[in-house]
Amino acid sequence: MLSRVAESLYWMSRYIERAEDITRILTVNFHALLDTRLEDLQRGWQPLIAITGDEGLFSQHYSEYNAQTVSEFLLWHPSNPNAVIACINRARENARSVREQISSEMWEHINRLYFLIRGVNTQSVLRGPHEFFSQVRDGSQAFQGVTDATMIHGEGYQFIQLGKFLERAEKTCRILDVKYGMLNAMREGTPEASLQLIAMLKSCSAFEAFRKQSAFQLHAGRVAEYLLLSREFPRAVLFCLQRCQQAVALISKGTNKQSDSASVSQRALGRLCSELEYLDIEEVLDERMHPFLTRLLRQVNLIGDEITRAYFNAQIILPSPRRQQAQQQQ
Amino acid sequence: MPLLTPIDQPILTDNYEVGPFFDEMFESDGQPRSHYRVLYEHLSTLNRQAFEERRRAADISFLYQGITFTVYGQQEGIERIFPFDLIPRVIPRAEWDMLSRGLTQRVVALNHFIHDVYHDQHIVRDRRIPAELIFGARHFRREMVGVDVPRGIYVHITGTDLIRNERGDYYVLEDNMRSPSGVSYMLENRQAMKRTFAPLFERYGVMPIEHYPQELLNTLRSVAPDRGVEPTVALLTPGVYNSAYFEHSFLARQMGIEIVEGRDLVVHDGKVYTRTTAGLRQVDVIYRRIDDDYLDPLAFRNDSLLGVPGLFSAYIMGNVTLANAIGTGVADDKAIYAFVPEMIRYYLSEAPILHNVPTYLAINDADRRYILDHLHQLVVKSVNESGGYGMLVGPHATREEREMFRQRILQAPRNFIAQPTVSLSRHPTYIDNELRGCHIDLRPYILYGEQVTIVPGGLTRVALRRGSLVVNSSQGGGSKDTWVLYD
Repeated sequence: MLSRVAESLYWMSRYIERAEDITRILTVNFHALLDTRLEDLQRGWQPLIAITGDEGLFSQHYSEYNAQTVSEFLLWHPSNPNAVIACINRARENARSVREQISSEMWEHINRLYFLIRGVNTQSVLRGPHEFFSQVRDGSQAFQGVTDATMIHGEGYQFIQLGKFLERAEKTCRILDVKYGMLNAMREGTPEASLQLIAMLKSCSAFEAFRKQSAFQLHAGRVAEYLLLSREFPRAVLFCLQRCQQAVALISKGTNKQSDSASVSQRALGRLCSELEYLDIEEVLDERMHPFLTRLLRQVNLIGDEITRAYFNAQIILPSPRRQQAQQQQ
Repeated sequence: MPLLTPIDQPILTDNYEVGPFFDEMFESDGQPRSHYRVLYEHLSTLNRQAFEERRRAADISFLYQGITFTVYGQQEGIERIFPFDLIPRVIPRAEWDMLSRGLTQRVVALNHFIHDVYHDQHIVRDRRIPAELIFGARHFRREMVGVDVPRGIYVHITGTDLIRNERGDYYVLEDNMRSPSGVSYMLENRQAMKRTFAPLFERYGVMPIEHYPQELLNTLRSVAPDRGVEPTVALLTPGVYNSAYFEHSFLARQMGIEIVEGRDLVVHDGKVYTRTTAGLRQVDVIYRRIDDDYLDPLAFRNDSLLGVPGLFSAYIMGNVTLANAIGTGVADDKAIYAFVPEMIRYYLSEAPILHNVPTYLAINDADRRYILDHLHQLVVKSVNESGGYGMLVGPHATREEREMFRQRILQAPRNFIAQPTVSLSRHPTYIDNELRGCHIDLRPYILYGEQVTIVPGGLTRVALRRGSLVVNSSQGGGSKDTWVLYD
C-alpha cells in the first residue's frame, strides 16, 4: 500500500473520531449545565477547552467561557485547527485523496456529513444543540459502521482502526485528566460529585456500560478504573491500545516489515498495554492521577510518531558501502 | 377540457422550436427522426412532475458520490456537479460505424505524424507541412527527437471533438492528444440513465460502454516495457485539488490500479518506484494526467512540485512507459490540425473519412488578410488554449474585442487560426420545465494499444446557456448520455 494512502486513511479516521469526540463532550456539557447554578456556569465551560488542549488559542480570541464562545470555538472557529468543521473537512480531504481505496458507501457518508455541517450556523445550533450533535454523532458512527461493513479488512482497514483507536485512547485520557481534576475539589458522595462522574462517563459514552458492568456506587476510583483499564468497553484506554496493538501486528505481518521503527512502535504499544494490564488502580488515584495521565498521554503521542516514521515515510535505503564493497569480489 | 396545473403539463410541448439548425431528434417539419421515435413516445408521456422527480434523484446521487468538478477563481462552494441532462442523444449504428472508421484513420495518421516528427521528419522534407509550424509549436519537445517508444505508439488515449453543421454533416473540431478528460462523465451518465430510465433501455438496443476501463487497462498493459513480470500500471495525478481529480480516482478504481502523486514516486538507478508501507515497488506504465511541463523538474519546468525528479531519464532508458507519450501536444496544436487530412493522405494513402472545419492560418499571408477582413464572421482561436479560453466568436463579439484580436493576430500570427462559425446541431434538453433545443458536440474516446478501440458512444456536451455555442464545463456546459444503437 502507498505510504501516502496509509497516512491518509489513518488521518481520515483520526479526524472523524476527533470530530465525534468533541461533539460528544459538548453535548454532555450542554446537558449537565442545565442542572448547574447560574454562578457556576462559566466554570462549567472552561474544562472543555482544557480537554482539547487549546486553552492558549482560545484565550487569543475570547475573553469569556460560555456556551456561545466555547461552542463557536470548538465547532467552527477558523483559527482552531481542531474545530469540528475543520476535522470533518480534513477527514473528507483525506478521504478524497484516497477515494479509490475506500468504498463508495464510505465516501457517500463522509460527504453527507460534510454537506450537513456546512449547512448550519452557530445560532441555529445553540437554539437546538441536541439535534445537531446527534446528527454529527450519527454521521460519524454510520461512517464507522459502513467502513466495517463495506471495506476490505486488509491493510488499509487496519490503518483506519489504528487511527481511530489511538485518537480515542488520547481523548479518553484527556477527559479523565480534566474531569478527575475537577473532582478533587469536591467531596466524594455529594450530588455535585455524582453529577461530575456521570458527565465524565457520558463524555465517553460509558454511563450505561459502567452501570451494567459495575455493581459499585458511583465512585471516582471505580470510574477511573473503568475508563482506563476495561478490556471490554470500546472507549477505555486499555481496550483502545490493545486494538492498536492488534492493528500494528497485522500491518507488520502483511508488509513483512522488520524495520527498526516498525518494531519500535510495536514494542512501545506492547509495553504500554502490559503496564495497564497489570496496573493496580490504587497506585494512581488522587493526586497521582494527573502525573500518571500526563505520562500516558506522552506515550500515546510517541506511538503516533513512531507509526509515522515506520509506515508513512518510505525512503530509499541505498546499499551500504559494506555491501557494495562485498560485491566487488566474485 | 380541464385546466392543467403547471406540474401536470407535458415537458415536450408544441412550443419546441427546431429553428434554422440541424435538430438531432426532429426533422425540419417537426416529425421525430426514426431512431428517436421510441424516445419521443416515452417523453410525450412524461409530465413535469414525473420528470422533475427523476432529475432530482439523479442530481442528488451525483453530489453524494462526489461527481463534482472544481470551478477556479471562486472562494466558497467551489465544487459543483457537472450539469447532467437526462435526455439521451441517440446515434444509429451505420452513422457510428462511419465515425468509428474515421476516428481510427485519424488517430493512426496522427500517431504516424508524431513518430515522424520525432524521427526522420519526412513530412517536413517532402514539404507537406511547413517546418516552422512544427518546430514552432509550443508543445513540440525537442528532447523527444530520436527517442523510441514501445510499439511506436504515442497517443494511447485521444478525445476527439466532433460537431455537426446545419445539414447534419459531421466535422472534427479538434483532437485532444495530451490528456483528454471527461470519460468518467460518459460512464457515470450511463449509470444515472440506467437508474432513472430503465424501461427505455429495454425498448432500445443500446450498445454498452461499461468496458471502457478494462479496454483502457488492456491498452496500457500492451505498451509496458518487457521485464518478464506482470506489468504494474499506475495513474499519476496532480492531486486532489485538480479539477479532474474525481475522474482520475474513478478510473484508477475501475481499473484496479494505484493512483499516485508525484511525491509517491521515486526514481532510482533509472527505474521508477512507488513508496509503499512495505518499501519500494517498481512501476512499468504510468497513465499520467499531468502535462509534459510538470512531469520532471530535472528535464522540464524546474519549479514543478507535481512531478518526479528523474522520470524523463527513466523514460528514455525505456524502463517505464508514459501514456500518452511526451510531446504528443505537437499534434493537437490548432494550426497543425489544419494538416490532418494531408497527413491521412501522406501516411496512409487514403482519403479522409471525417472532415475538418475549414481553417485559415494567420501565419499564411493570404489567409491572414482574409481573417482580418472577416473578423465579424469568423471564430478566431489561439492555437495553444483549450477549454474554451482564448477565443473570439466574431458575430457575438464587440468592436473592441475584435480590435484587440486584430492586434494580437498581427503581433503573433503563428498563434492564431480562424474558422467559419458553424451552427452546431441542437438537441432537446430540459431547461426551465420544458424541452428546448440546445447546441451539442460529441467527444468519443479512442484507445490505441495493440489495436485501436473505441467504445460506442462518448461524451455529448451541451451548451446550457441560452443560445451559447460553448459547451465546455468551465463555461456553463453540461452533458448527456450518448446511445449508439445496435442497429
